[in-house]
Amino acid sequence: MKRYLAILLVLCSLLSLAACGTEPAVTSDAPEATDAAVTDSGLDPNTPAWTTDTSAIELEWFVGASWYPYTWGDSLSTQNITEKTGVDIEIITPTGDVSEELNLMMISGTLPDLITLGSWENCFSTLYEQGYTWALNELADQYDPYFYNVVDSSVVAWHTKSDGNLYCVPNDAYGAEQMAETGMTAAVQTFLVRKDLYEDMGSPDMSTPEGFLEALRLLKSDFSTYKGETITPFYAQGGSGYGLTDYLQNFLAVPYEDEDGNIYDRVTDPDYIEWLKVLRQAYEEGLIGIDYLVDSDDQVTEKSNNGRYFCMLREWSGMQEANGILANSENPDSYYIAIDGPANSDGDAPLIFPGSLDGWMCTFISKDCENPERAIAFLTYMLSEEGQMDMFLGVEGETYEVVDGVPQLTDEMIDLMNNDAETFATQYGLVDTYWMLRNSVIVDQWRPESPYYITEMSDWADENAYVDGGIYNNLEPTGDSDAAVAATRIDQRWQEVVPELITAESEEEFDSILEAFLADRDSYGYDLVVEYEQELLDARKALFD
Amino acid sequence: MRTQEARIKPRLSERLSRTGKEFWKQRQLQAMVWPGIIWMAVFSYIPLVFLYIAFTDYRISVPLFENDFVGLKHFIAFLTDDRFWRAVYNTLGLSLLRITIGFCIPIILALLLNELRCERFKKIVQTVSYLPHFISWAIFGGILLSWMSESGIFNQLAISLGLQDKAILYNGDPDNFWMIAFLSDTLKEMGWNAIIYLAAITSIDPELYEAAELDGAGRFQRMWHITIQCIRPTIALLFILAVSGCLSSNFDQVFFLSNSANMSRSETLDLYIYNMGIVSGRFSFSTAVLFFRSIISYALLRLCNFTSVKLTGESII
Repeated sequence: MKRYLAILLVLCSLLSLAACGTEPAVTSDAPEATDAAVTDSGLDPNTPAWTTDTSAIELEWFVGASWYPYTWGDSLSTQNITEKTGVDIEIITPTGDVSEELNLMMISGTLPDLITLGSWENCFSTLYEQGYTWALNELADQYDPYFYNVVDSSVVAWHTKSDGNLYCVPNDAYGAEQMAETGMTAAVQTFLVRKDLYEDMGSPDMSTPEGFLEALRLLKSDFSTYKGETITPFYAQGGSGYGLTDYLQNFLAVPYEDEDGNIYDRVTDPDYIEWLKVLRQAYEEGLIGIDYLVDSDDQVTEKSNNGRYFCMLREWSGMQEANGILANSENPDSYYIAIDGPANSDGDAPLIFPGSLDGWMCTFISKDCENPERAIAFLTYMLSEEGQMDMFLGVEGETYEVVDGVPQLTDEMIDLMNNDAETFATQYGLVDTYWMLRNSVIVDQWRPESPYYITEMSDWADENAYVDGGIYNNLEPTGDSDAAVAATRIDQRWQEVVPELITAESEEEFDSILEAFLADRDSYGYDLVVEYEQELLDARKALFD
Repeated sequence: MRTQEARIKPRLSERLSRTGKEFWKQRQLQAMVWPGIIWMAVFSYIPLVFLYIAFTDYRISVPLFENDFVGLKHFIAFLTDDRFWRAVYNTLGLSLLRITIGFCIPIILALLLNELRCERFKKIVQTVSYLPHFISWAIFGGILLSWMSESGIFNQLAISLGLQDKAILYNGDPDNFWMIAFLSDTLKEMGWNAIIYLAAITSIDPELYEAAELDGAGRFQRMWHITIQCIRPTIALLFILAVSGCLSSNFDQVFFLSNSANMSRSETLDLYIYNMGIVSGRFSFSTAVLFFRSIISYALLRLCNFTSVKLTGESII
């Protein structure tokens, strides 16, 4: 028996080896040349391919956001799109870590047809560097040349990789001139305070360390409970990895490069260190806690929806729902407004991060897709003005009307959107429900005017946006290169160090913790990270010149 | 001569047909054992081949044996990382709590339940204590986090009992983490772990108790001299397994209860592998750490079994 078992085991392992030999998806880097030769002549570059083939087909679409709640096919907008193009979509979202899940799909050869992913994810570069996705330009040349009519040339230039191929298209991509022209910057970083509380406190200036501490002291002594709620003084979005790092640095106008164009070490900036010390001071005096590092998302939502935070370093986009709830509550003034937040010692205007040509998330077509010709046609349709209209406005006469040549949502829809966002999204699926391929430049002209409790936040961000800052977006290395590993280690270490700094018992202890971190950082390979970022920045600048 | 040889060594075809007949005779038993064997092969033996990943710079798009061989590069990488040693320390610390105190609690619970006279009450306690086992950590952790928050039930209780004068963020202090992890794990798994002891206890011959009672043994004496002695092999078995598992922690639990403020005490080996390996897509590195951990765990298992044989004569391997 034992011998047979052994033979079986050997057989099994041989089989598995044979299987893994055939697994990888990299077969050829370009669609078959013969096909290309045939179709090059036959396609009309002025006819979008989606109009010629509308047979029913199903595509899987991976949306790299575990929080994305919507499906395809139940809402009016998606039914309309499926009817028009014949493409039915199954939306897949990750249950846990995005990269983890995609890595698994890459290994097992089960990548969905379309993949929408943030460029900050670690597997982002793996997708195209290791040949898991089609070059969109090749697909377009072969199947749907109309594609080039619907993507902006500056976007194409920005996203084309060094091998000359365009692998993905972004959503929400903004060029600098565009932002300057329209005043819409897609900036979301704000410093928010609860309006009625802040005004009752006498609207103190919170942009200087003294003002900030004084306001918190006043809060502690006189307003620790306010209108029946226990007030949590402070919140920083993303905790130590974002809110107290890049976000705070942007408010303090910490530059990204020095005068000579060298990457600037933002962590050791004196103003930034000073503000971290202010937070340490506030913690020592019991003015703030570290609950924002510990609370789960549910707890944060609960506190925001009840107006329990006093001030927040938080993106206004994440507060739209809470502000709607608060403005319609029995304390209609309890919503959050944006004020001037922490500033550097020179009182410089903040460098609020704007939208950029990078966009938000990018969409790929995977090589596991069996019908890449339909996928590229679908992409072209979605990116076209018609597709954007179907996605954002829905069906003419039903959900929108054309008034004086300008399409706009019906009042009924706007009402529903403002009062019952959930039903609006699941039943109609308009406006921002399906944002995966949203082109803000196109849809912003149709966007209904936001209510006052939103514009009071968003106007501040637009005014203070650093429109030329897009070039510094996502400089950090990703993937598993030495520089990326070093960056990850440094980043994860820093996320632990920030809480230690804030809870340090004295300034001396603060200094020694920081010093130890800087030493660790060097030993992890900080020079590799700087080298990588410098190269990338120089390359981006060259692209603009 | 020829016939003699044939008698001693039957021909291959005969042997095969005899095996086949026997196999058919045992078909019901075979049907039960083969799924297990296949499962083991697929999930435990075949993956062993892939341990080779630890010695290469593995790229997922390249076939396994075509990756660059890099020797012990990844092993050196984590052995020289101070964060790895911190993770080992945290894992061992948590395991020590679990193996010493945590190991006794289900035994005590089983003994107490066994002494209960009222069957109904016994059943209720047993059910209530093992039910949390079926709640996933994602949910149990979420509930726990809101209980532990500043306005949560624990703080309110402690304040109203006068144990503390203001709300404390329990989960924000690294020093609390081991206790939180240990207590919550005990709360969740205690009833479940007691089941196996209860099962062992029910198989004890009641005559032993009757005889002891006649000899004038009290309840505690019976518990000590009969119940515990009779379930000793079960205790030894579970203890050996617990020790060999002391380098693995409950990943789900640690994942949901950890945050950047308590990371210095909450990052166990499992979480380290996740943070440093899986999230960054460093498969070779993760495999190397896992490989290393498996070797140590196996050594611990052997050592423990050896000690157990020497001390009690019970062996499980």
